[in-house]
Amino acid sequence: MINLEFVINTLSLGSLYALLAVGLVLVYGILKLVNFAYGEYLMVAGYAIYLSAIVGAPWWATLIIAVAASMLVSFLTEIAAFRPVRTKSMDALLVTSFAVSIFLQNVVLLAVSPRARAVPLPDFFSKTVVIGGAVLPLRNLLIIATTAVVLALLSFLMKKTVLGMAMRAAADKFTTTRLMGVPANFVISAAFLISGFLAGVAGIFWVGRSGSVDPLTGAAPLLIAFIATVMGGMNSPIGAVVGGFVYGLLFNILSITLPASMISYRDAFMFAIVVLFLLFRPEGIIRRGYTEERVG
Amino acid sequence: MKRFAAVLSLVMVVALVLPGCSSNSGSDAAEGDTIIIGTALCQTGIQAPLDEPALRGAQLAVDVLNENGGILGKQVELRAMDGKSDPVTVGNVAKQLVDEGAAAIIAPSDFDFGGPASREAQSAGIVGLSPCASSPLYSSTALGDLQFTLSMWNTTMGAVTAEYAYNERGWDTVYVITDDFIDYTKSLSRYFIARFEELGGEVIFEDTYTQGQGDVSAQLARIKALDEQPDFIYISSYQPDLALMIRTLRESGVNQPVVGGDAYDDPSLFEALGTQYGNDVYYDTHGFLSDEANPGYSDFAAAYEAKFGSEPDAVWIMPGYDAVMTIAQAMEIAGTTEGAAVAKAMEENTFELFTGALEWSDAASGHEPNKAAAMVELIDAQPQFMGWVIPEKIPAP
Repeated sequence: MINLEFVINTLSLGSLYALLAVGLVLVYGILKLVNFAYGEYLMVAGYAIYLSAIVGAPWWATLIIAVAASMLVSFLTEIAAFRPVRTKSMDALLVTSFAVSIFLQNVVLLAVSPRARAVPLPDFFSKTVVIGGAVLPLRNLLIIATTAVVLALLSFLMKKTVLGMAMRAAADKFTTTRLMGVPANFVISAAFLISGFLAGVAGIFWVGRSGSVDPLTGAAPLLIAFIATVMGGMNSPIGAVVGGFVYGLLFNILSITLPASMISYRDAFMFAIVVLFLLFRPEGIIRRGYTEERVG
Repeated sequence: MKRFAAVLSLVMVVALVLPGCSSNSGSDAAEGDTIIIGTALCQTGIQAPLDEPALRGAQLAVDVLNENGGILGKQVELRAMDGKSDPVTVGNVAKQLVDEGAAAIIAPSDFDFGGPASREAQSAGIVGLSPCASSPLYSSTALGDLQFTLSMWNTTMGAVTAEYAYNERGWDTVYVITDDFIDYTKSLSRYFIARFEELGGEVIFEDTYTQGQGDVSAQLARIKALDEQPDFIYISSYQPDLALMIRTLRESGVNQPVVGGDAYDDPSLFEALGTQYGNDVYYDTHGFLSDEANPGYSDFAAAYEAKFGSEPDAVWIMPGYDAVMTIAQAMEIAGTTEGAAVAKAMEENTFELFTGALEWSDAASGHEPNKAAAMVELIDAQPQFMGWVIPEKIPAP
């Protein structure tokens, strides 16, 4: 069963998960906040495509609007919800992120519908292609390519630009970074914008697979991103990328190797592996400077 | 910036609160002159896609009733409280509705979510009716002798498609994918398989999927690795992931017919599949939005559009409408709103509904609904009504 088709599908799944995980980790690195509203940024991207297609925007515009909407919502939630409680306890931040998540879900539920809405995506997304005997949708190849480009850009941004260096420094020792004259609000806003960008791009592919979006669309990608970061490592984007790919690979391997009678316990196996990670390697696959300090 | 944040928060709060005010479709008549029907349907959360259209149907039914003199000469008031897709909340709001004098309770369309409302109705001695709970657990055996579901059970729903595939189409082999997230999807597969194997069909493999997983590449790999390809694929799941599963299979060159149950009856599925993939999909459901399937549908649709400003968008509106009408008819027959008498009227009569003619068995045999299913085929993403079907044989629950 492990043929070229399976390999490409698993790679594309891993790419998508890696994108998800990096977006979550960027904010975690600086605020030490697991942003439980992160999944909702993907959902927002889905609804942005749905709404912009209704008003007749061409496909490329719907995609740009989707990413922009995701970034905007990420940016605004930071200003409106997280910033006021940032100096309070960790718990306050965490609870706030739950509140933002529930709030965003209910906004679309009331404003659009509790029922799923179809998201029109360009036809080439689901065009079937044949490569070396493997039959798969073109979208799966697009995810891999897009992820490679986005991660390369992100890597350049983090390593070669002042902003990136400021963000890395902030993730390591925030107080020291601020003493050096780096404005906290600016760095945090930038992190949320980039996180929103990644969520937007991932969101396009996430809703692209089912062609529909509903108010609870964000729950699954959030869980996946969370587990991937736990496995890969919470403290670096590289850990998140590794975690995303490992998650995708593990999941698919389990799915095809478990005997029929055990398949329904696949998730239990998956979570058992996560528990093992938490027990024996809580810092994840990629170890790095383990900092507890966060902005206050 | 602080000011901006404050304004933004205010706008967000207002946006959240405003639509919430309109949930009670009350009348001002004093109690005693009105009959209150309480609904604990879930207007928010995971159950909302099923319950929210049912609530709209119920609201429309109450309007129609009141225009025609109400029930037993009294006006009817529908009192809706949000069950919030939380079984405990559903039970609590049902209790509150009972305390406020509800003469009957309409419970959420699922055993797990609707059961608590029915239990409260039962202990208050009034009838509880779920518009669309299809689990055979939704019975007088599990919930009490005043409790009913308007839906066919999964036993019927599974048997209808099994017989269609085997008898009508001559499909002998099936690959089954079951969403193991909720009881509904699991029991539907179970009864489909029971009937299909009884007929002589062969289940090549029983695969699982979990709602929210978001990827079927493993299932896909297994199907493609089969020595002998199945005649069709039975997928027991629901939206939004159902669209993802069917699309992924089709995009990857798996072109066998796909068969399933009432969860397929969702406009978002048709749109998500589009004309490219919205073919060769068959399912059975509770009704069909056309005059052909339901004489009188046009009037219903016109009344609905007058009230809500848009055409009926989902078949799930009909069971909500039917639930109120069934309770109304039963109360008229019984000549009272008293629970035991109404339940007796429900057991002893046949109800002609938009979702098909309905008879219940007596309480001792579980209030099993005897109901026809509407068979539907998707052609170019458009549902086509194939006819009402009563299975030759229904598996034991």
